Amino acid sequence: MQKLELKGVNKHFGDLLVLTNINLTIEEGEFAAIVGPSGCGKSTILRMLAGLEEASEGQVLANGQPITKPDPRRTLIFQEHALYPWRTVEQNVGFGMELAKEPKDERKKRIDEILEKVGLDGFQKYYPHQLSGGMRQRASIARALVLNPEVLLLDEPYGALDAITRLAMQNELIRLWRGTGKTVLLITHDIDEAVYLADSIYVMSPRPGHFIQTLHADMARPRNRNGQKFVELRQKIMDNLDIGSYSI
Amino acid sequence: MSTQDTQSLTEDISGTSSEASPGKRGKPSLWNKSWPYLAAVGSLLVVWEIGALIENKPFILPDVVQTVPRFFQSFSDAEFMNGVWRSMYRLAVGYPVACLLGALLGLLAGVSRTFAVYLRSLISILQSIPPITWVPFLLLLLGFGDTVIIAVITIASFFPMALSVMNGTEGVNKTHLELARVFGANRMQLLTKVFGPESLPAFITGAQVSFGNAWRSLIASEMVGGASIGLGKYLSYHGEIADMKGVMISIIVIGGIAALLDHVVLERIKRKLLHYRYVSGSGGKK
Repeated sequence: MQKLELKGVNKHFGDLLVLTNINLTIEEGEFAAIVGPSGCGKSTILRMLAGLEEASEGQVLANGQPITKPDPRRTLIFQEHALYPWRTVEQNVGFGMELAKEPKDERKKRIDEILEKVGLDGFQKYYPHQLSGGMRQRASIARALVLNPEVLLLDEPYGALDAITRLAMQNELIRLWRGTGKTVLLITHDIDEAVYLADSIYVMSPRPGHFIQTLHADMARPRNRNGQKFVELRQKIMDNLDIGSYSI
Repeated sequence: MSTQDTQSLTEDISGTSSEASPGKRGKPSLWNKSWPYLAAVGSLLVVWEIGALIENKPFILPDVVQTVPRFFQSFSDAEFMNGVWRSMYRLAVGYPVACLLGALLGLLAGVSRTFAVYLRSLISILQSIPPITWVPFLLLLLGFGDTVIIAVITIASFFPMALSVMNGTEGVNKTHLELARVFGANRMQLLTKVFGPESLPAFITGAQVSFGNAWRSLIASEMVGGASIGLGKYLSYHGEIADMKGVMISIIVIGGIAALLDHVVLERIKRKLLHYRYVSGSGGKK
């Protein structure tokens, strides 16, 4: 399993400073979340960990080694599911194994297993456009999990889903993750989602993004969304984001 | 809330079935699919028939009923059939060459920005020159024969393909490419597993537009003297000898062959290659 670190990371796109002085350590098996307003550069952090972007200054490390390119052991789950419309569910889920040239029978076996786990058994031959939004995102998660990655990077995975489906999917994610020891980093602008899912929560400022506060949610799972601790934590995050209260 | 709404809502949460409506519709019958085509053909025939009745001079404008027997006789008329086959042969050579050339140029333009600018300017020049203006030039250059017509077809029909493929490669979804990289795709795999399937619809659209250009320029260049045998030549010759039935039949066959190739052959290939687009409904579980 992998420990993720960012040390003194700055990132600019041309003249635009997006991230400044980012220091972050996510321990092996930890579930971390970054919360922040849109455009604060939180997705950029994730993309650097996925190996899709490079830091302008500072270090991006996995187990102490610099991350220079994508690696299937660290998979990124995109906001818009990004399933290939010309592939069926099983072909989409098997994509990573196909790239790694694994034998067909092995692929089939693992695809069926993971689809069963995410509740898509029986939908092997369906095309993405035949599925609902929640089912597409399940397929996208299955596609990442089937490779048994050490790190899961989630980029606002439920941002496009309706509220009911989103809550159901959050529970599913916890069920899939528990006991696997995988390191998870979730990017979200949904404060409740972060508090409900993560062990540690990093609150980000607007651009240029930096961490305002780090919080630890020492709550047992499953968490009560209306418990005292939950509500306190939520209030703290909102205060940090300057949306905790307002005057008329 | 209708039962269907309730059903799709519960399905969405439990995730045990598709939200798409149950696909019990079945396939549309042959009649449902083909009647608009028949209506289009029929309305043209009606206009012709009315025109012939008003004109009332069968040697100038024969009506539908008088022309039908000649139509069937034409299939055993060597002059006519040789013309048809010769035209088809030219199409069968020129059209694939044009598609291949267009696809190649389009792909190159997709890779290089500079070449894309070059290709766009080249196309805007070639597009403004009517294809048959090349006939005298090519006749002098290549001499009388099939090569002239095939060259005209190629000039006239490579550019829709090139344009379409160029636009298609520009439109490849960035997330689709990044996803493949995250999952460990190498350069070759990016090309075959993402670029290829993603731009396939552009190839097919290009091929369909190119086909129209190819067919029209083929007939036109045969008519203006690029050939001694061919469907276009038959048409222009029978116009000169005032054989109106021959002219009408040529027009019908020209339209018929193009419609058949486009709507039946090309459309089938398209549906086969892009079949994922035509799968609808849930089709029942398992």
